[in-house]
Amino acid sequence: MGADASDLSLVRRVQRGDKGAFDALVLKYQHKLVKLVMRYVRNPAEAEDIAQEAFIKAYRALPQFRGDSAFYTWLYRIAINTAKNAVVSRDRSPIEYNIDRNSEESYDMQGRMKDSETPEALVLTDEIRSIVNAAIDALPEDLRTAIVLRELEGLSYEEIAAAMDCPVGTVRSRIFRAREAIDRRLREVFEGGLGRAEELG
Amino acid sequence: MNEELDSQLSAMFDDELASAECELLARRLSRDTELKARWERYAVIAAAVRAERGVRLNARVARRVSVMLGSEPALAGQSAPRRSERRWLRPAAGAAVAAGVAAVSILWLRAQAPPGAVVATPPLAAVPAVRVTAPAVVRAAPPRAGGPDSYVVPPVARGAAAVVPATELANYVVAHSMFSSPVARRNLLSSFMTSEPGEAGMIPVSTEGAQAPARDAKSNAQ
Repeated sequence: MGADASDLSLVRRVQRGDKGAFDALVLKYQHKLVKLVMRYVRNPAEAEDIAQEAFIKAYRALPQFRGDSAFYTWLYRIAINTAKNAVVSRDRSPIEYNIDRNSEESYDMQGRMKDSETPEALVLTDEIRSIVNAAIDALPEDLRTAIVLRELEGLSYEEIAAAMDCPVGTVRSRIFRAREAIDRRLREVFEGGLGRAEELG
Repeated sequence: MNEELDSQLSAMFDDELASAECELLARRLSRDTELKARWERYAVIAAAVRAERGVRLNARVARRVSVMLGSEPALAGQSAPRRSERRWLRPAAGAAVAAGVAAVSILWLRAQAPPGAVVATPPLAAVPAVRVTAPAVVRAAPPRAGGPDSYVVPPVARGAAAVVPATELANYVVAHSMFSSPVARRNLLSSFMTSEPGEAGMIPVSTEGAQAPARDAKSNAQ
Protein backbone atom coordinates (compact mmCIF):
# COMPACT_ATOMS: atom_id res chain seq x y z
CA MET A 1 0.00 0.00 0.00
CA GLY A 2 1.20 3.47 -0.67
CA ALA A 3 0.29 6.86 0.61
CA ASP A 4 -2.30 8.53 -1.60
CA ALA A 5 -3.03 5.26 -3.45
CA SER A 6 -6.69 5.72 -2.64
CA ASP A 7 -6.89 9.22 -4.07
CA LEU A 8 -4.74 8.28 -7.02
CA SER A 9 -7.01 5.40 -7.97
CA LEU A 10 -9.98 7.78 -7.93
CA VAL A 11 -8.06 10.44 -9.86
CA ARG A 12 -7.15 7.91 -12.58
CA ARG A 13 -10.80 6.98 -12.92
CA VAL A 14 -11.77 10.64 -13.33
CA GLN A 15 -9.04 11.07 -15.93
CA ARG A 16 -10.55 8.14 -17.82
CA GLY A 17 -13.92 9.89 -17.86
CA ASP A 18 -15.57 8.63 -14.65
CA LYS A 19 -17.17 11.70 -13.06
CA GLY A 20 -18.57 9.62 -10.21
CA ALA A 21 -15.04 9.09 -8.92
CA PHE A 22 -14.63 12.85 -8.63
CA ASP A 23 -17.74 12.96 -6.42
CA ALA A 24 -15.94 10.66 -3.99
CA LEU A 25 -12.92 12.98 -3.90
CA VAL A 26 -15.16 15.99 -3.26
CA LEU A 27 -17.05 14.16 -0.51
CA LYS A 28 -13.78 13.25 1.15
CA TYR A 29 -12.21 16.69 1.05
CA GLN A 30 -15.06 19.22 1.11
CA HIS A 31 -14.84 19.86 4.84
CA LYS A 32 -11.07 20.17 4.84
CA LEU A 33 -11.18 22.55 1.92
CA VAL A 34 -13.87 24.74 3.46
CA LYS A 35 -11.82 24.89 6.65
CA LEU A 36 -8.75 25.85 4.63
CA VAL A 37 -10.59 28.61 2.75
CA MET A 38 -11.92 29.99 6.02
CA ARG A 39 -8.42 31.24 6.73
CA TYR A 40 -9.12 33.82 4.03
CA VAL A 41 -12.84 34.51 4.40
CA ARG A 42 -14.85 34.48 7.60
CA ASN A 43 -18.24 33.75 6.14
CA PRO A 44 -18.86 29.96 5.96
CA ALA A 45 -21.21 30.35 2.98
CA GLU A 46 -18.58 32.28 1.06
CA ALA A 47 -15.96 29.71 2.02
CA GLU A 48 -18.19 26.97 0.62
CA ASP A 49 -18.62 28.93 -2.62
CA ILE A 50 -14.86 29.29 -2.97
CA ALA A 51 -14.31 25.61 -2.15
CA GLN A 52 -16.84 24.74 -4.82
CA GLU A 53 -15.04 26.89 -7.37
CA ALA A 54 -11.73 25.28 -6.39
CA PHE A 55 -13.18 21.79 -6.96
CA ILE A 56 -14.44 22.80 -10.40
CA LYS A 57 -11.04 24.27 -11.29
CA ALA A 58 -9.38 21.09 -10.05
CA TYR A 59 -11.66 18.96 -12.20
CA ARG A 60 -10.84 21.00 -15.28
CA ALA A 61 -7.11 20.87 -14.53
CA LEU A 62 -7.10 17.17 -13.68
CA PRO A 63 -5.77 16.09 -17.11
CA GLN A 64 -2.55 17.91 -16.17
CA PHE A 65 -2.28 16.20 -12.78
CA ARG A 66 0.49 13.60 -13.05
CA GLY A 67 0.57 12.33 -9.51
CA ASP A 68 3.98 13.83 -8.73
CA SER A 69 2.49 15.18 -5.52
CA ALA A 70 -0.40 13.98 -3.39
CA PHE A 71 -3.81 14.87 -4.77
CA TYR A 72 -4.76 16.85 -1.68
CA THR A 73 -1.53 18.86 -1.84
CA TRP A 74 -2.38 19.77 -5.43
CA LEU A 75 -6.00 20.55 -4.53
CA TYR A 76 -4.82 22.61 -1.56
CA ARG A 77 -2.76 24.88 -3.85
CA ILE A 78 -5.71 25.40 -6.18
CA ALA A 79 -7.96 26.28 -3.23
CA ILE A 80 -5.45 28.74 -1.79
CA ASN A 81 -5.10 30.53 -5.13
CA THR A 82 -8.86 30.57 -5.64
CA ALA A 83 -9.40 32.02 -2.17
CA LYS A 84 -6.75 34.71 -2.68
CA ASN A 85 -8.26 35.70 -6.02
CA ALA A 86 -11.75 35.75 -4.53
CA VAL A 87 -10.64 38.03 -1.71
CA VAL A 88 -9.00 40.41 -4.17
CA SER A 89 -11.98 40.55 -6.52
CA ARG A 90 -14.72 40.33 -3.87
CA ASP A 91 -15.25 44.07 -3.69
CA ARG A 92 -15.22 44.51 -7.44
CA SER A 93 -17.74 41.87 -8.46
CA PRO A 94 -19.45 38.84 -6.93
CA ILE A 95 -18.13 35.38 -7.73
CA GLU A 96 -19.95 33.93 -10.71
CA TYR A 97 -20.33 30.34 -11.60
CA ASN A 98 -20.86 28.80 -14.94
CA ILE A 99 -24.07 27.02 -14.01
CA ASP A 100 -26.27 25.80 -16.79
CA ARG A 101 -29.34 27.98 -16.29
CA ASN A 102 -31.44 25.66 -18.39
CA SER A 103 -30.88 22.89 -15.93
CA GLU A 104 -33.74 22.88 -13.46
CA GLU A 105 -31.66 20.93 -10.99
CA SER A 106 -28.83 23.44 -11.16
CA TYR A 107 -31.22 26.28 -10.59
CA ASP A 108 -32.78 24.50 -7.66
CA MET A 109 -29.34 23.96 -6.12
CA GLN A 110 -28.46 27.60 -6.58
CA GLY A 111 -31.66 28.55 -4.82
CA ARG A 112 -30.60 26.43 -1.86
CA MET A 113 -27.04 27.74 -1.73
CA LYS A 114 -27.85 29.97 1.24
CA ASP A 115 -29.05 27.02 3.30
CA SER A 116 -25.80 26.77 5.17
CA GLU A 117 -26.48 30.19 6.66
CA THR A 118 -29.88 29.29 8.12
CA PRO A 119 -30.33 28.64 11.86
CA GLU A 120 -31.59 25.16 10.99
CA ALA A 121 -28.31 24.40 9.25
CA LEU A 122 -26.37 25.54 12.29
CA VAL A 123 -28.52 23.38 14.51
CA LEU A 124 -27.95 20.44 12.21
CA THR A 125 -24.18 20.87 12.36
CA ASP A 126 -24.33 20.97 16.14
CA GLU A 127 -26.61 17.97 16.13
CA ILE A 128 -24.26 15.94 13.94
CA ARG A 129 -21.32 16.90 16.10
CA SER A 130 -23.06 15.90 19.32
CA ILE A 131 -24.20 12.60 17.81
CA VAL A 132 -20.65 11.77 16.75
CA ASN A 133 -19.19 12.80 20.09
CA ALA A 134 -21.79 10.80 22.02
CA ALA A 135 -21.14 7.77 19.81
CA ILE A 136 -17.40 8.05 20.39
CA ASP A 137 -17.90 8.34 24.14
CA ALA A 138 -19.96 5.15 24.08
CA LEU A 139 -17.23 3.18 22.29
CA PRO A 140 -15.08 0.60 24.08
CA GLU A 141 -11.77 2.17 24.99
CA ASP A 142 -9.66 0.34 22.37
CA LEU A 143 -11.99 1.43 19.56
CA ARG A 144 -12.20 4.99 20.88
CA THR A 145 -8.43 5.30 21.15
CA ALA A 146 -7.92 3.97 17.63
CA ILE A 147 -10.45 6.30 15.97
CA VAL A 148 -9.27 9.36 17.91
CA LEU A 149 -5.61 8.70 17.09
CA ARG A 150 -6.58 8.35 13.47
CA GLU A 151 -9.03 11.23 13.04
CA LEU A 152 -7.80 13.71 15.58
CA GLU A 153 -4.06 13.07 15.59
CA GLY A 154 -3.85 11.94 11.96
CA LEU A 155 -1.63 8.94 12.75
CA SER A 156 -1.12 6.17 10.22
CA TYR A 157 -2.24 2.62 11.02
CA GLU A 158 1.38 1.66 11.60
CA GLU A 159 1.88 4.48 14.08
CA ILE A 160 -1.35 3.61 15.88
CA ALA A 161 -0.27 -0.04 16.02
CA ALA A 162 2.99 1.03 17.66
CA ALA A 163 1.15 3.31 20.10
CA MET A 164 -1.42 0.66 21.02
CA ASP A 165 1.03 -2.23 20.89
CA CYS A 166 -1.04 -4.35 18.52
CA PRO A 167 -0.84 -5.53 14.89
CA VAL A 168 -1.75 -3.19 12.03
CA GLY A 169 -4.62 -5.52 11.08
CA THR A 170 -6.12 -5.05 14.53
CA VAL A 171 -5.90 -1.28 14.13
CA ARG A 172 -7.71 -1.48 10.81
CA SER A 173 -10.41 -3.61 12.37
CA ARG A 174 -10.80 -1.33 15.40
CA ILE A 175 -11.08 1.80 13.28
CA PHE A 176 -13.62 0.14 11.03
CA ARG A 177 -15.73 -1.06 13.96
CA ALA A 178 -15.57 2.39 15.58
CA ARG A 179 -16.74 3.99 12.35
CA GLU A 180 -19.53 1.47 12.00
CA ALA A 181 -20.78 2.20 15.53
CA ILE A 182 -20.73 5.96 14.92
CA ASP A 183 -22.23 5.53 11.48
CA ARG A 184 -25.22 3.61 12.84
CA ARG A 185 -26.12 6.66 14.93
CA LEU A 186 -25.36 9.09 12.13
CA ARG A 187 -27.39 7.24 9.55
CA GLU A 188 -30.57 8.35 11.28
CA VAL A 189 -29.64 11.94 10.43
CA PHE A 190 -28.29 11.19 6.99
CA GLU A 191 -31.06 8.84 5.94
CA GLY A 192 -31.06 8.81 2.15
CA GLY A 193 -27.87 10.82 1.72
CA LEU A 194 -28.65 14.10 3.44
CA GLY A 195 -32.25 13.12 4.13
CA ARG A 196 -32.99 15.02 7.26
CA ALA A 197 -30.65 17.79 6.33
CA GLU A 198 -32.67 18.39 3.17
CA GLU A 199 -35.86 18.68 5.22
CA LEU A 200 -34.31 21.13 7.63
CA GLY A 201 -32.71 23.12 4.82
CA MET B 1 -23.79 -4.70 3.10
CA ASN B 2 -20.70 -6.87 2.94
CA GLU B 3 -18.62 -6.27 6.06
CA GLU B 4 -15.35 -6.98 4.30
CA LEU B 5 -16.22 -4.40 1.66
CA ASP B 6 -17.04 -1.83 4.34
CA SER B 7 -13.78 -2.61 6.10
CA GLN B 8 -11.92 -2.04 2.84
CA LEU B 9 -13.79 1.21 2.34
CA SER B 10 -12.74 2.38 5.80
CA ALA B 11 -9.11 1.51 5.06
CA MET B 12 -9.30 3.20 1.66
CA PHE B 13 -10.67 6.33 3.27
CA ASP B 14 -7.53 6.38 5.44
CA ASP B 15 -5.20 5.68 2.49
CA GLU B 16 -4.30 2.37 4.09
CA LEU B 17 -5.55 0.01 1.41
CA ALA B 18 -3.28 -1.74 -1.11
CA SER B 19 -3.20 -0.06 -4.52
CA ALA B 20 -4.69 -3.04 -6.36
CA GLU B 21 -7.63 -3.17 -3.96
CA CYS B 22 -8.04 0.61 -4.26
CA GLU B 23 -8.43 0.28 -8.02
CA LEU B 24 -11.26 -2.21 -7.67
CA LEU B 25 -12.98 -0.36 -4.86
CA ALA B 26 -12.68 3.02 -6.60
CA ARG B 27 -14.61 1.63 -9.54
CA ARG B 28 -17.38 0.43 -7.26
CA LEU B 29 -17.35 3.60 -5.17
CA SER B 30 -17.89 5.79 -8.21
CA ARG B 31 -21.08 3.88 -9.10
CA ASP B 32 -22.56 2.54 -5.87
CA THR B 33 -24.67 5.27 -4.21
CA GLU B 34 -24.93 3.36 -0.94
CA LEU B 35 -21.18 2.98 -0.73
CA LYS B 36 -20.76 6.64 -1.62
CA ALA B 37 -23.20 7.67 1.12
CA ARG B 38 -21.17 5.67 3.64
CA TRP B 39 -17.98 7.28 2.34
CA GLU B 40 -19.60 10.69 2.85
CA ARG B 41 -20.54 9.83 6.43
CA TYR B 42 -16.96 8.74 7.11
CA ALA B 43 -15.88 12.21 5.98
CA VAL B 44 -18.48 13.81 8.24
CA ILE B 45 -17.29 11.73 11.20
CA ALA B 46 -13.72 12.86 10.54
CA ALA B 47 -14.79 16.52 10.36
CA ALA B 48 -16.91 16.19 13.49
CA VAL B 49 -14.05 14.60 15.46
CA ARG B 50 -11.73 17.40 14.37
CA ALA B 51 -14.43 19.88 15.48
CA GLU B 52 -13.51 22.25 12.69
CA ARG B 53 -14.83 25.65 13.60
CA GLY B 54 -17.16 27.27 11.11
CA VAL B 55 -17.31 24.18 8.90
CA ARG B 56 -20.88 23.08 8.23
CA LEU B 57 -21.09 19.34 8.49
CA ASN B 58 -24.10 19.37 6.19
CA ALA B 59 -22.15 21.36 3.58
CA ARG B 60 -23.62 20.92 0.13
CA VAL B 61 -20.39 21.63 -1.71
CA ALA B 62 -20.24 18.08 -3.02
CA ARG B 63 -23.81 18.16 -4.34
CA ARG B 64 -23.34 21.50 -6.02
CA VAL B 65 -20.07 20.41 -7.59
CA SER B 66 -21.71 17.20 -8.81
CA VAL B 67 -24.54 19.17 -10.44
CA MET B 68 -22.11 21.58 -12.09
CA LEU B 69 -19.97 18.72 -13.38
CA GLY B 70 -23.06 17.47 -15.18
CA SER B 71 -22.49 20.13 -17.80
CA GLU B 72 -18.73 19.52 -17.97
CA PRO B 73 -17.24 17.24 -20.62
CA ALA B 74 -15.78 13.96 -19.39
CA LEU B 75 -11.99 13.88 -19.20
CA ALA B 76 -11.44 10.60 -21.01
CA GLY B 77 -8.28 10.52 -23.10
CA GLN B 78 -6.94 13.79 -21.74
CA SER B 79 -4.81 12.48 -18.92
CA ALA B 80 -1.11 13.27 -18.63
CA PRO B 81 1.39 10.40 -18.77
CA ARG B 82 1.29 8.37 -15.60
CA ARG B 83 4.14 8.75 -13.21
CA SER B 84 4.69 5.01 -13.09
CA GLU B 85 4.85 4.81 -16.89
CA ARG B 86 7.65 7.36 -17.01
CA ARG B 87 9.56 5.92 -14.08
CA TRP B 88 11.80 3.69 -16.23
CA LEU B 89 12.96 6.63 -18.36
CA ARG B 90 15.34 8.14 -15.78
CA PRO B 91 17.62 5.12 -15.20
CA ALA B 92 17.56 4.30 -18.93
CA ALA B 93 18.57 7.85 -19.84
CA GLY B 94 21.28 7.78 -17.17
CA ALA B 95 22.68 4.51 -18.49
CA ALA B 96 22.66 5.86 -22.05
CA VAL B 97 24.57 8.99 -21.02
CA ALA B 98 27.10 6.92 -19.04
CA ALA B 99 27.64 4.58 -21.98
CA GLY B 100 28.08 7.52 -24.34
CA VAL B 101 30.66 9.19 -22.10
CA ALA B 102 32.57 5.92 -21.76
CA ALA B 103 32.60 5.39 -25.53
CA VAL B 104 33.80 8.94 -26.22
CA SER B 105 36.52 8.60 -23.56
CA ILE B 106 37.84 5.37 -25.10
CA LEU B 107 37.86 6.84 -28.61
CA TRP B 108 39.57 9.99 -27.36
CA LEU B 109 42.27 8.02 -25.57
CA ARG B 110 42.91 5.96 -28.71
CA ALA B 111 43.22 9.14 -30.77
CA GLN B 112 45.73 10.60 -28.30
CA ALA B 113 48.04 7.58 -28.31
CA PRO B 114 51.45 7.98 -30.08
CA PRO B 115 51.57 6.56 -33.62
CA GLY B 116 52.14 2.85 -33.57
CA ALA B 117 51.42 2.60 -29.86
CA VAL B 118 48.58 0.51 -28.62
CA VAL B 119 46.48 2.05 -25.91
CA ALA B 120 46.00 -0.57 -23.34
CA THR B 121 42.48 -0.74 -21.97
CA PRO B 122 42.97 -3.73 -19.75
CA PRO B 123 40.44 -5.02 -17.34
CA LEU B 124 41.26 -4.56 -13.66
CA ALA B 125 42.82 -7.98 -13.49
CA ALA B 126 45.41 -6.93 -16.06
CA VAL B 127 46.73 -3.95 -14.09
CA PRO B 128 49.81 -5.79 -12.70
CA ALA B 129 51.00 -6.20 -16.31
CA VAL B 130 51.24 -2.43 -16.58
CA ARG B 131 53.32 -2.33 -13.42
CA VAL B 132 55.87 -4.60 -14.96
CA THR B 133 56.47 -2.23 -17.89
CA ALA B 134 57.07 0.83 -15.74
CA PRO B 135 60.58 -0.05 -14.46
CA ALA B 136 61.72 -0.25 -18.09
CA VAL B 137 61.15 3.49 -18.37
CA VAL B 138 62.97 4.02 -15.13
CA ARG B 139 65.84 1.76 -15.98
CA ALA B 140 66.85 4.05 -18.84
CA ALA B 141 67.97 6.62 -16.28
CA PRO B 142 71.55 6.19 -15.07
CA PRO B 143 71.94 6.54 -11.32
CA ARG B 144 73.65 9.64 -10.02
CA ALA B 145 75.37 9.37 -6.73
CA GLY B 146 74.84 11.92 -4.01
CA GLY B 147 71.68 13.52 -5.39
CA PRO B 148 68.20 13.39 -3.92
CA ASP B 149 65.93 10.47 -4.78
CA SER B 150 63.28 11.00 -7.40
CA TYR B 151 60.41 8.65 -8.13
CA VAL B 152 58.87 10.17 -11.22
CA VAL B 153 61.24 11.89 -13.62
CA PRO B 154 63.72 9.97 -15.71
CA PRO B 155 66.86 12.00 -16.36
CA VAL B 156 67.55 13.48 -19.80
CA ALA B 157 70.61 15.30 -21.10
CA ARG B 158 70.95 18.68 -19.38
CA GLY B 159 69.79 21.60 -21.46
CA ALA B 160 67.85 19.54 -23.99
CA ALA B 161 64.08 19.96 -24.32
CA ALA B 162 62.72 17.14 -22.22
CA VAL B 163 59.52 15.45 -23.24
CA VAL B 164 57.89 12.35 -21.90
CA PRO B 165 55.23 10.48 -23.86
CA ALA B 166 51.92 11.01 -22.05
CA THR B 167 50.87 7.38 -22.39
CA GLU B 168 54.13 6.16 -20.88
CA LEU B 169 53.85 8.68 -18.10
CA ALA B 170 50.30 7.62 -17.43
CA ASN B 171 51.40 4.00 -17.28
CA TYR B 172 54.17 5.03 -14.97
CA VAL B 173 51.78 6.83 -12.65
CA VAL B 174 49.52 3.81 -12.60
CA ALA B 175 52.45 1.53 -11.91
CA HIS B 176 53.46 3.67 -8.95
CA SER B 177 49.99 4.14 -7.65
CA MET B 178 50.93 2.59 -4.34
CA PHE B 179 53.17 5.60 -3.63
CA SER B 180 50.68 8.36 -4.43
CA SER B 181 47.35 9.43 -3.00
CA PRO B 182 44.23 8.64 -5.07
CA VAL B 183 43.40 12.36 -5.44
CA ALA B 184 46.85 13.32 -6.67
CA ARG B 185 46.87 10.38 -9.06
CA ARG B 186 43.46 11.33 -10.44
CA ASN B 187 44.53 14.95 -10.88
CA LEU B 188 47.63 13.97 -12.76
CA LEU B 189 45.79 11.58 -15.04
CA SER B 190 43.13 14.22 -15.67
CA SER B 191 45.78 16.70 -16.71
CA PHE B 192 47.08 14.20 -19.29
CA MET B 193 43.61 13.79 -20.70
CA THR B 194 42.80 17.51 -20.85
CA SER B 195 46.11 18.72 -22.29
CA GLU B 196 46.08 20.47 -25.69
CA PRO B 197 46.13 18.22 -28.77
CA GLY B 198 49.65 19.35 -29.71
CA GLU B 199 50.91 18.48 -26.28
CA ALA B 200 48.73 15.50 -25.70
CA GLY B 201 51.20 12.86 -26.76
CA MET B 202 54.17 14.35 -24.99
CA ILE B 203 54.39 16.03 -21.59
CA PRO B 204 57.33 18.42 -21.18
CA VAL B 205 59.09 18.05 -17.86
CA SER B 206 61.89 19.81 -16.11
CA THR B 207 65.07 17.84 -15.74
CA GLU B 208 66.71 20.15 -13.28
CA GLY B 209 67.98 18.11 -10.40
CA ALA B 210 66.60 14.92 -11.84
CA GLN B 211 68.39 11.71 -11.23
CA ALA B 212 67.94 8.00 -11.49
CA PRO B 213 65.11 6.62 -9.39
CA ALA B 214 67.23 3.83 -8.06
CA ARG B 215 65.08 3.18 -5.02
CA ASP B 216 61.95 3.21 -7.15
CA ALA B 217 63.33 0.68 -9.57
CA LYS B 218 64.34 -1.48 -6.67
CA SER B 219 60.93 -1.34 -5.05
CA ASN B 220 59.19 -2.17 -8.32
CA ALA B 221 61.43 -5.06 -8.96
CA GLN B 222 60.38 -6.57 -5.67
